[in-house]
Amino acid sequence: MAMSHKARILAAAHRQAVDKLPFGARIDVWYNYHCAHGTLPEKYEGWNMVDILRDQGAGVQVRHMRIWKLEYDNLEVVTREDPPYTITEWRTPVGAVSLKTVFRPEEGSWIVYEVDHPFKSKEDYPVIEYIFQNTRVVPDLSEYQQKEKMVGEDGIVITGMDMYSPMQQIMRYWLGYERFFYELHDHPVQVGQLYELQKEVAKKKLEILGESSVEIPMLCANWSDEFHTPVFAKYFSPWLREASDYLHSKGKVTQVHSDGEMRRLIPLFLETGVDVAEAWTPMPMTSVTTGELRKAWGDKVTVWGGIPAVLFEPQYTDQEFDTYVIDLFKQIAPGYNFIIGMGDNLPFDGRIERVGRIVELIDKYGSMPMKL
Amino acid sequence: MIDYSALKKAVIDGDDERTAQLVKEAIEQHADPADIVTLGLQAGLVTVGEKFSSGEFFIPEMLLAARTVTRSLDIIRPLVSDSDMITAGKVVIGTVVGDLHDIGKNLVGMLLGGVGFDVLDLGTDVYPKRFVTAVMEHKPDILGMSALITTTMPAMEATIQALESANIRRQVKVIVGGAPVTQHFADQIGADGYCSNGGSAIELCNRLVGR
Ligand code: B12
Repeated sequence: MAMSHKARILAAAHRQAVDKLPFGARIDVWYNYHCAHGTLPEKYEGWNMVDILRDQGAGVQVRHMRIWKLEYDNLEVVTREDPPYTITEWRTPVGAVSLKTVFRPEEGSWIVYEVDHPFKSKEDYPVIEYIFQNTRVVPDLSEYQQKEKMVGEDGIVITGMDMYSPMQQIMRYWLGYERFFYELHDHPVQVGQLYELQKEVAKKKLEILGESSVEIPMLCANWSDEFHTPVFAKYFSPWLREASDYLHSKGKVTQVHSDGEMRRLIPLFLETGVDVAEAWTPMPMTSVTTGELRKAWGDKVTVWGGIPAVLFEPQYTDQEFDTYVIDLFKQIAPGYNFIIGMGDNLPFDGRIERVGRIVELIDKYGSMPMKL
Repeated sequence: MIDYSALKKAVIDGDDERTAQLVKEAIEQHADPADIVTLGLQAGLVTVGEKFSSGEFFIPEMLLAARTVTRSLDIIRPLVSDSDMITAGKVVIGTVVGDLHDIGKNLVGMLLGGVGFDVLDLGTDVYPKRFVTAVMEHKPDILGMSALITTTMPAMEATIQALESANIRRQVKVIVGGAPVTQHFADQIGADGYCSNGGSAIELCNRLVGR
């Protein structure tokens, strides 16, 4: 009997044999945009995303932000709307910090974007330290479980560390990238202290993930080698290694969302113990080809992705799309430890039929071991 | 003649204190402030840009060097009249509508500011109309647009068309950048310049203003 999409994806993630090249497609940017604008193709009007992917014959990749809630002791969190922005303020006995965010699902986005970060000056260190020290992480699985049920054997619901490992959380969310690098230079001790405290919060998230049914916890996201390489060995690898070891002990494998320029992170990645590099985005969207990546990693890391978002756009003809996909198959043959997917999404002007076209090409060339 | 190599190196190292000290020493030796800026500070930053382009440097080195220069300019500014504080030209920069990615754009803005351009950053999610208004109001030499998503790139073309409709296209050089943008795309939409990274943005803008 043929394996299910889910079984294939999981087997490849565990570096086990599969009958056919696995495919886990991600289309939320396209889906959110067209739902918001009322422009879904006629056939799919009123459909949910999972059913659209089923209709295309593809394995499903659905995102879920988190399986816990953050609760705080001894401080107040106040949120107010200032359209299009949301302002969140943490009021603690040692001072307050505020965050300004915007959420634009009509542009396809599924994440909240920080316009102005909580950390504004060095006076904010004690406040943020206080917040971390008084954060509780409480399991909140019901929505995840609903999505899991909805997807069933047809794919995977991806969730994990709130998308970010502890230092990425500080970099991206609390300080913002630029301020982060200035602060790391000017106040390394304080930044180090935030990191240690955020690791404690992260541990609690890991414990919840460890006890959950999440199969491939996502440990970090949105890397780009220009800013992550200099801090990777010190602040990313050790934590990713620790988190992966812990989750391995719980029978799980781990993944990261490696959707940016990865050239200089490729050698460093092998130190992390992470099993799956998801959202792998090769040339022409980055400087690296899938062939180069496979040469560097061998069978040590399972790669999920390989088809850059732009290939789905009308600027590429159907013929060019086929040629790209078949060439990708050649680069990865015999095809083990690989899950076909998008780098990192179907853009809103992308062609949904090309998802189905990948399924046809896999049916034609993707039986294991692939011979091309 | 003052040797500016130490000052240049201090900028490349992103060393604020040493840079400030060397700037003060040069001033005490009656160096021409314009030379301190161009032969010391900006020359250092140009090298940093080159090292970033070649992959030797990463973003933190660029940020620190740009900040070092900005801070040193603050030391020099009170010593010279506004007209002597040579600006290379004025740049208006922003990320196009629908797009919130700003790391690359910010970096380009900082580097250009560091090498003497007067930079006005409109932020992210900038509508063509806002770019047009800013060009009318601030009369920049260069308008820089950043896009990180293929689906937001058309807003660059829309902005160029809006500049044309407002009859101000020829007043300003338009440059575009961001990971998915290519020279081919820039040519197609009628931009005046493109570059693939912040390091080469310095050279591009200098060329466009005839420096
Ligand atoms: C970090 C990141 C984010 C961060 C952005 C944080 C921030 N403050 O900017 C977050 C997580 C918020 C984010 C959000 C999203 N992202 Co994003 N993101 C990235 C990532 C990984 C790196 C971008 C980056 O900062 N690179 C580092 C900087 C320094 O490089 P740079 O921007 O290219 O800039 C350099 C040059 O291009 C140049 N340059 C840049 N601008 C300009 C301007 C001028 C005038 C000049 C001359 C030069 C120039 O100089 C810079 C310095 O060298 C890229 C991957 C990639 N390959 O780019 C995806 C990527 C851009 N994101 C993508 C997507 C889809 C999204 C989301 C829609 C995700 C979602 N589903 O919610 C949202 C978009 C929200 C929105 N409406 O904008 C896609 C776009 C796909 C496409 N179709 O094009 C990418 C390519 C990921 C992928 N593999 O598919 N993202």
